[in-house]
Amino acid sequence: MKLPLKWLKEYVEFNVTPKEFAERMLLRGFEVAEIIPEMDGIDGVYVCRIMSIEPHPNADKLRVCTVDVGRDEPLQIVTNATNVKEGDLVPVALDNATLTGGLVIHPTKMRGVASAGMFCGNEELGITDVEYPGCENGGVMVFFEEHPAGQRIQEALDLDDCIFDIELTPNRPDCQSIIGICREAAAALGQRFNEPEIRHIEGYGDCSDIARVTIENPYLCPRYTARVVTDLKIEPSPLWMQRKLKAVGLRPINNIVDITNLVLVEYGHPMHAFDLACVADNHIVVRNAKENEIVYTLDGKERVMSEDMLLIADPTKGVGVAGVMGGLNSEITDATEATLFESAVFRPENIRSTARKLHHVTDSAARFIKGVEPVNAEKALLRAIELVDELHAGRVMGGMIDVCSADLSEKQVAASVSHVNEILDTDLSADKMVELLGSINIPAEAVGDTLRIRVPHFRTDIEDGIETDWDIAEEIGRLYGYTNIAPTLMRGDTFRGYLSASVKDEDMIKDTMAALGCLELYNYNFISPKELADLCFDEGDERLNAVRLLNPFGEDQSLMRTELAGGLLRAACLNLNRKTGYGRFFEVGNVHFDDPELPVERKLLGVIHTGANEDFFTLKGTLEALFEKLGVERVRFEKGGSNYLHPTQKAIMTVDGDKLGEIGTVHPKVQRAFELSAPAYIAELDFEALRRHITRVRKYKPLPKHPAVQRDLALIVDEDMEAQQVIDVIEAAKARVLIENVRVFDVYRPKLPGDKGIPAGKKSMAFTFQLRADDHTLTDEEIGQAVNAILKSLKFRLGAELRA
Amino acid sequence: MIFDELMQIRAKALEQLEKAASSDELSELNTSVLGRGGMLTAILRTMGKLSAEERAELGKRANAVKQELVERFEARRAMLAEEAERKKIEREAIDVTLPGKRIAAGTGALNPLTLVYREIRDALIGLGFTTFEGPEVEYDEYNFTLLNLPPNHPARDMQDTFYVNDRVLLRTHTSPCEARALKTLDLPVRLVIPGRVFRVDEPDASHSPVFMQMEGLVVDRNVSLADLKGTIDSFVKAVFGENVESRLRPSYFPFTEPSAEVDISCSICGGKGCSSCKGTGWMEIMGCGITNPHEIENCGKDPDEWRAFAWGVGVDRVACLKYGISDIRLIYEGDGRFLSQFK
Repeated sequence: MKLPLKWLKEYVEFNVTPKEFAERMLLRGFEVAEIIPEMDGIDGVYVCRIMSIEPHPNADKLRVCTVDVGRDEPLQIVTNATNVKEGDLVPVALDNATLTGGLVIHPTKMRGVASAGMFCGNEELGITDVEYPGCENGGVMVFFEEHPAGQRIQEALDLDDCIFDIELTPNRPDCQSIIGICREAAAALGQRFNEPEIRHIEGYGDCSDIARVTIENPYLCPRYTARVVTDLKIEPSPLWMQRKLKAVGLRPINNIVDITNLVLVEYGHPMHAFDLACVADNHIVVRNAKENEIVYTLDGKERVMSEDMLLIADPTKGVGVAGVMGGLNSEITDATEATLFESAVFRPENIRSTARKLHHVTDSAARFIKGVEPVNAEKALLRAIELVDELHAGRVMGGMIDVCSADLSEKQVAASVSHVNEILDTDLSADKMVELLGSINIPAEAVGDTLRIRVPHFRTDIEDGIETDWDIAEEIGRLYGYTNIAPTLMRGDTFRGYLSASVKDEDMIKDTMAALGCLELYNYNFISPKELADLCFDEGDERLNAVRLLNPFGEDQSLMRTELAGGLLRAACLNLNRKTGYGRFFEVGNVHFDDPELPVERKLLGVIHTGANEDFFTLKGTLEALFEKLGVERVRFEKGGSNYLHPTQKAIMTVDGDKLGEIGTVHPKVQRAFELSAPAYIAELDFEALRRHITRVRKYKPLPKHPAVQRDLALIVDEDMEAQQVIDVIEAAKARVLIENVRVFDVYRPKLPGDKGIPAGKKSMAFTFQLRADDHTLTDEEIGQAVNAILKSLKFRLGAELRA
Repeated sequence: MIFDELMQIRAKALEQLEKAASSDELSELNTSVLGRGGMLTAILRTMGKLSAEERAELGKRANAVKQELVERFEARRAMLAEEAERKKIEREAIDVTLPGKRIAAGTGALNPLTLVYREIRDALIGLGFTTFEGPEVEYDEYNFTLLNLPPNHPARDMQDTFYVNDRVLLRTHTSPCEARALKTLDLPVRLVIPGRVFRVDEPDASHSPVFMQMEGLVVDRNVSLADLKGTIDSFVKAVFGENVESRLRPSYFPFTEPSAEVDISCSICGGKGCSSCKGTGWMEIMGCGITNPHEIENCGKDPDEWRAFAWGVGVDRVACLKYGISDIRLIYEGDGRFLSQFK
């Protein structure tokens, strides 16, 4: 909403700086987004008097002027203007002045003669005959009246005010009008706003005798008011009106259109003027359009209507799209003799849908969408008629056509003083509240603890219902000032503040991952169908069951991710390409699977390692460290996993048969698809599965009283034997002693068959473990027996031989 | 006859092609058949002796053969490459049960979003709050309707929404969790609700279509706007420091009434006014307010008994202000040189 300071000054005494005003408005809920000078972008231009004009020594078309700009010394200006003479007062741009279009003027030399600046024409100053009649002379602007030399151009032209660009919240459609915003502005300046009275124009005859309005759909059009003006004289509107329109960015057209536009700005109510001669039978019919009915709007465009759209028609044809734009067939032209002014109320949601479907949200439509009200509709109409009379634009007919199903009665609500004070934690008296409401023209009286409020027609946001006290608290709060309410902390019962177990676990997991050298990613949830294809999931894999967005940015961001791998790979790729030197990343994030009801949401932990020192086992080491920290025990790694992983370098991680997730080298094909310049290693774990196996309290285990002995075994086993198989057998061996900390510490594959005595198809693996008893120190015999039992078991179950 | 010769070259090439066991062999064969000195080229060189019709016919046929062979070479090459890769993959087999390696990998770091989220959260835990979470993909009903934003409400335009279908959307704020909490929890409650939210905003330096929000919700019998002020001020100070001030100024949200925007004194200039705060000395960080009684009623609780206040703070915005991050996209991009700065 643009509020020109000049306009505001018509209603109140402006006694603060624009900046102070903006601050006051801000603290009342109206943010001034910008304070725009009236002559926006013009700086450093002054009035000067031309003292003498001499020919230029080196150029025929240039002249050298000596000018008085009110400084101690006269200045020299070189000009090519031919319309100036000695004694003229003209604008001159000096000392890095800025002109329209960002043009900057510096002192310069023109054909060897110094020039301190430049004389300005109207275009360079961004003005027309509207702001200063006669300035559009094709050359340098010349003042017709006296001004002191050296006066700023803004002062000389009386364009030294500013325009406030004010952001409005959707609950205050009434402030999309000069009247509405000035009401608030006056209160912010501590003054009372007196709404201008509209002079009633009696007119001749009764327009109802010659024109009719029928509303076929009163739900979509609760009120339609109209008056008729005959004997029109279409001409440009007076300068004062053109200036006002230009100040808020509207283009003057002719007196009748300008009147509707001015009323739109003043009262915030969109109006339309029809050429009555083009309305068949002088009969306006407000009805739903027929499917595919065509209307040509004022902008010359063909509009194809549908049945849900509201049409302004006459008995034979459409003459306008309700609330959006008038029809070309009934436009006001220079030949128009009589007009019907429409001021109506249309249902916001209907106008919103029509404007959207026609891809055309006009100024009018925007106002209807934000909400207009029926009392103001009539005011706007009467104001337009007043202006017609004032401008002598035609003969006003008497009477008013008013088809109305809206409730025009004044709303009365009651609010509880004590409740409002409780909501705000203030201690305001009922009288103080009455005074505050009165400051923005809301009449109220206090009866005991009750405020009886007569809600003015323009305050559609104050409702009679459960929220009345809150509505009033909002008004009282902002008028009293939120900054005047002292902050407190909640009183009453004390609360036990705590983190949920899931949040605590997430903290611990993230902290551990960071401690293990990983950087935390937050990848977007949007992925492309190509990503899922590149990851080669099997048909029927749940990860292909992605949620699809109806309105994505594009096909490449059309799905919600079902895996974290893609995002991890993209991050790894970015870091490899940029040679950042960072290769360890993790993310804790949700994935979604489509479902007829709400998509299934699952939280995953994803980890990626890439870089020179990384391989499958460094990633496994990271995960083992995490498991250790979380107390996730007995994790088994078994061959297998998703297709995006390397077929012989991937594993599924389980605890007691419960799947935690997968780990593996990225498949070379996938590495290529994601354009990764180096191998990468990825793990994805189900967050909840991981949580299920966290050891929350670690019970103390008594320290051993008797020493353990350590034994190593080097075994010859089948080439494809996994270390885990051997460990399982060693741990399960019936050795009659405790077997602990079984670990593999060396694997040797012969380079050639028979190498180092290892036969073809075999390899050597070395294990270490501890033997111990709780109640005594083991004897050599016991140890020997235990090792034999282990070896026997290994031989019997795995065919493993002790390496010679 | 020259046409027979052509067919012989074709047959021989196809035969050898199938026999080629490596891509090197294949390349050699390719050169000897299709290369500049290859058989096919050689045969075309003899064309000069032929009649015009024969020449045309030979050209046509030779081209057909050439095209066929190029395709067959390509197919064979792909097959051999796949075969080679399959063998390589077999050779690369590892024992996945061998122990992992722990190597020194430097210090990792949490994302600035996590750091800021924890700071806010932990300040609130001290005030008796608990954490609560809800789904990222949400019913329209929870995201809008229950929060006093019925279908066609103009304020729905304030938040451009990604839709899944006409009932389901990507939540545009963490506020639907308020409805879930009000419906399911015993009152009173003090909740802090973190989560990702989504809006149709093309990414730029200050917008991201995915960002992180933290909702605060306090429902009790006697809470007030003054309590809201105090609570917000306490976590603002926890995140930005004791000397940073906060203020509330009137605004509008459909789910709160009265509503307010929260400004903090500019962390760059300390409130004197600079380019970051557009000379005002204040920076807007979030919206808040007293929960609209309609929302409480919509969620099955009695607004005469329970009063609530709530806020929704953009964690990204706070992180950008706190750490001086000039472009929000850095948070989501994943460049290690950025992420590693927040150790």
